[in-house]
Amino acid sequence: MRRRRAAETRAGYAFLSPWLVGFFLLTAGPMLASLYLAFTNYNLFNAPEWVGLDNFVRLFQDPNYIQAWKVTGTYVLLGTPLKLISALAVAMLLNNSRRGQGFYRSAFYAPSLIGASVSIAIVWKAMFIDNGIVDQVGQVLGLPAGGWVGDPSRTMPMLVLLTVWQFGAPMVIFLAGLKQVPTELYEAASVDGAGPVRKFVKITLPMLSPVLFFNLLLETIHAFQIFASAFIISSGTGGPARSTLFYTLYLYFRGFRDFQMGYASAMAWILVLVVGAISFVLFRTQNRWVHYSGEGK
Amino acid sequence: MKRPVLKAATVVAVAALGLAACSGGEADTSGAGVDDDTPVTIDFTWWGNDDRAERYNEALELFSEQYPNITVNGTFAAFPDYWTQRSTEAAGRNLPDVMQFDLSYLREFNQSGQLLDLQELLDDGTIDTSGFDPTLLEAGVLDGKTIGIPTSTNTLGMFYNPELLEQTGTEFPDAETYTFDEYNDFIADVAAAGEQTADGYGIYGAGDYTGTFWFFIQWLLQNGVTPFEEDGTLGFEEADVVEFLNLTADLREAGATYPVERGVALKPLGGFTANESASEMSWDNFLAGYVADSGTETIEITQIPSVEPGEKALFLKPSMLYSIGANTEAAAASATLVNFLLTDPEVGRIFGTSKGVPADADQRAAVETEEGSVDAKVIAYEEAVAEQVTETTPIPVKGFGTIEAKWLELGENLGYGTITPEQFAEEWFAEADLAIM
Amino acid sequence: MSPTMTPADAPTVTDRPHVPSEADSLALRRRHVAASRVRSVVFHTVSLAVVAVILYPAVWMGVSTLKPSAEIIGSVSLIPTNPSFDNFVTAFEGIAGVSFWTFFLNSLLLAVGSVVGITISCSVSAYAFARIEFPGRNVFFALMIGTLLLPFHVVIIPQYIVFNQLGLVGTYVPLLIGKFLASEAFFVFLMVQFMRNLPRELDEAARIDGAGHVRIFGSIMLPLMKPALVTSSIFAFIWSWNDFFGPLIYLSSPSTFPLPLALRLFVDQTTTSDYGAQMAMAVLALLPVLLFFLVFQRYLVEGVATQGLKG
Repeated sequence: MRRRRAAETRAGYAFLSPWLVGFFLLTAGPMLASLYLAFTNYNLFNAPEWVGLDNFVRLFQDPNYIQAWKVTGTYVLLGTPLKLISALAVAMLLNNSRRGQGFYRSAFYAPSLIGASVSIAIVWKAMFIDNGIVDQVGQVLGLPAGGWVGDPSRTMPMLVLLTVWQFGAPMVIFLAGLKQVPTELYEAASVDGAGPVRKFVKITLPMLSPVLFFNLLLETIHAFQIFASAFIISSGTGGPARSTLFYTLYLYFRGFRDFQMGYASAMAWILVLVVGAISFVLFRTQNRWVHYSGEGK
Repeated sequence: MKRPVLKAATVVAVAALGLAACSGGEADTSGAGVDDDTPVTIDFTWWGNDDRAERYNEALELFSEQYPNITVNGTFAAFPDYWTQRSTEAAGRNLPDVMQFDLSYLREFNQSGQLLDLQELLDDGTIDTSGFDPTLLEAGVLDGKTIGIPTSTNTLGMFYNPELLEQTGTEFPDAETYTFDEYNDFIADVAAAGEQTADGYGIYGAGDYTGTFWFFIQWLLQNGVTPFEEDGTLGFEEADVVEFLNLTADLREAGATYPVERGVALKPLGGFTANESASEMSWDNFLAGYVADSGTETIEITQIPSVEPGEKALFLKPSMLYSIGANTEAAAASATLVNFLLTDPEVGRIFGTSKGVPADADQRAAVETEEGSVDAKVIAYEEAVAEQVTETTPIPVKGFGTIEAKWLELGENLGYGTITPEQFAEEWFAEADLAIM
Repeated sequence: MSPTMTPADAPTVTDRPHVPSEADSLALRRRHVAASRVRSVVFHTVSLAVVAVILYPAVWMGVSTLKPSAEIIGSVSLIPTNPSFDNFVTAFEGIAGVSFWTFFLNSLLLAVGSVVGITISCSVSAYAFARIEFPGRNVFFALMIGTLLLPFHVVIIPQYIVFNQLGLVGTYVPLLIGKFLASEAFFVFLMVQFMRNLPRELDEAARIDGAGHVRIFGSIMLPLMKPALVTSSIFAFIWSWNDFFGPLIYLSSPSTFPLPLALRLFVDQTTTSDYGAQMAMAVLALLPVLLFFLVFQRYLVEGVATQGLKG
């Protein structure tokens, strides 16, 4: 018996070896290394020089770093809820047995596949540029003339629209969740005279809360990592007037343009701590608002 | 020399066998071929746009006809990316054999011993600089080592678009004597004319020129200030920066300079090349690019404004140098390529003045200077200002690339009004302190 | 989230049974049929309107490729006045002597490499998590889930430094090695979930017959896992195809660029703003993804619905 268990252990580690090697070489090791680098000055040429907390002190005195948080925070707080609300609204619309549902679902999902690509960033830029189609339609609707690309107050809405456009992926997940809600619940509520709003608040949202939690967590983390769209639309500058200086862009500039590897590592670790804290809070509060049905999960 | 496909295939094979080891970084080897028949492959890289790439491709084809045993892998990138790539390669001791180099980065790369001393190759005649102005060659000498050889020279000039001047009914100030103030008046006049392009965009006199670091350097020189000290420190302070930025404060306030939001939207074009701005200060070799991008053949080049009338304090900058990586294993072949690019008359014809006025006399003579052509205008300009070239080329400090980029970024913010000139100066010096130390 | 949405609230609604009368039911049904038709029309109208808005950018992009550059920016219209393929001719010429097909093949090589790497390494690792009992498994599984939430920026700098010291910057090794070492936890997770839903009896029967793990994995699990492998392959392909950050930091020579980098080069580096050719190249770069989507949309959408994969 013991020999059998030893054989199982050997087999387990053998099968797990690709992941294990990858984990230690490409994730755990580098994480420790960047933790060390965060306390050093390192420019690739000279050996890392220990500077204690200098990088962290400098970061919070760096106007661009503060700006990077403002930009990223605005994007996460604006883009994620809008995207999820759109996703839920369309999922509710599609949640019936009418024909054509498969087509609609696929059509709405398509932008999620291509939305983060360079191609779409180029198209987005061309649409929102001076005298471009959005500018023209906007003028008809009474918006002030002028492109969005060069206007620091409009680049954020432009990128938020781009992420909302990709509502398809969370929508498909919502839709799958909606299908799980027993129809008897709605029927019984109808009999009780509950209106659509009451049904939504009392049945749909609680039943959907696990899916909502999942979407919220993933979309939030996803939103922190926006890069290609902002990079292409700002021609790789984070401009105009730093209005698209996302955290990831600034980290790229510091790490891979200025080669301030210590500074960039400090940035990366702060990001990990913030994203970790957000995940932690979401997980900890989930039992207050996330309702798992009896089958467990 | 780099074969990513093969390396990737190796990894596929290795990983498919369940082995974790990566294939390692075998050095890219190529024979240090001195004799003519040994096949050698060398890497060559430059920065620039597609137009330059086509010219280089043409030149490299000529080279391979003459030296069939030397294979050249040419690659290129945009200016900012280019330096990112070189820095990484330098850190990995993996620089390309031959590189186009900029004066601004020479000091930085020399400090870490990354560039080959070319003296031996000059002495044995592999690189022939007999057609060069000796003072120009000194720009490539640092700490007693010849680490770069200038390909061509440029100097700052003022470009204007006569068609826009005519449309706005304005006249360009007197080229020899106009001051920054008079230039500002001109900019204000063009904006005040209120003319528009066919597409309905306003026509302006110029963009806010204080957003470019090199103009600040030129202005310092005109004020008798040495921008960079011998010991690699800065020769100016925050007050100088603020004073320079305030040259255009009134124009900015009145909205008389080219709108920055339009400029951002037009990237990689600019207001001048979109024919919406009447003038622009820049390096004189930009004329070819300006004409090509704007489609306006009549663009003229003239002198820059000055602080005191007529005292331009110009300097001739080696617009580009060629350097060889210290890690090269094919020094002779690399030097052969450098010599070919520097001195072959046909190469001179291919590039014209697009890299600046060629440094080599034979190449300069080979440039076709048809009356009124771009190349003729640039050469005529450098001849016309020869007497105004009174300053030696400022050798930029270490970290120049970073502080130049920072200046540009802050200039954009200043244009949008999100920072004041004082904040500009403060932020710029904070960055410079880190970059230079 | 309002505090009223406590889990306790939901089930209470089911507590009251309702018994409708016969007459009720008939009238209700008639009204129901009429109402259903109206609702159906409303449903399709609204849905099609949303489809129109959502797909407009994509269609506009496609149509723009057939217009001359000067007509693109300001034109809302989806019908080109004089359609021509000139833009595609320019796009196929590539950039500065590097042909479009070079970029295309580079993208393809990276994408196929990713698919091969991910399907092999992730399925093997997932088998260990799902079917083998060994000490440490649960700890590693938790770590694997943790990496799902980890911003990759924290590992990218040391990775880059090491790859640079090994002289591998500029090659495809840094871009592919992670795929062969199951670093994409998403796929491991997906496959673990899938395997856990496969009946245990199958491998237990095989064990009794004396089969080892290698045989069980190879001849029982792998064939059954086909749907999960297909879903993973499609996503691995598309993600690699669209990847921008990795190639941006690791590749420097245009002849090694995959399409996203080539596009960026084309947009930023050719000073003449040839919007037509830009659009044509952008469309060409998306084409394989769109084809995948058309062919495998069921797999894709189901994959998202059941596994929560992102696009």
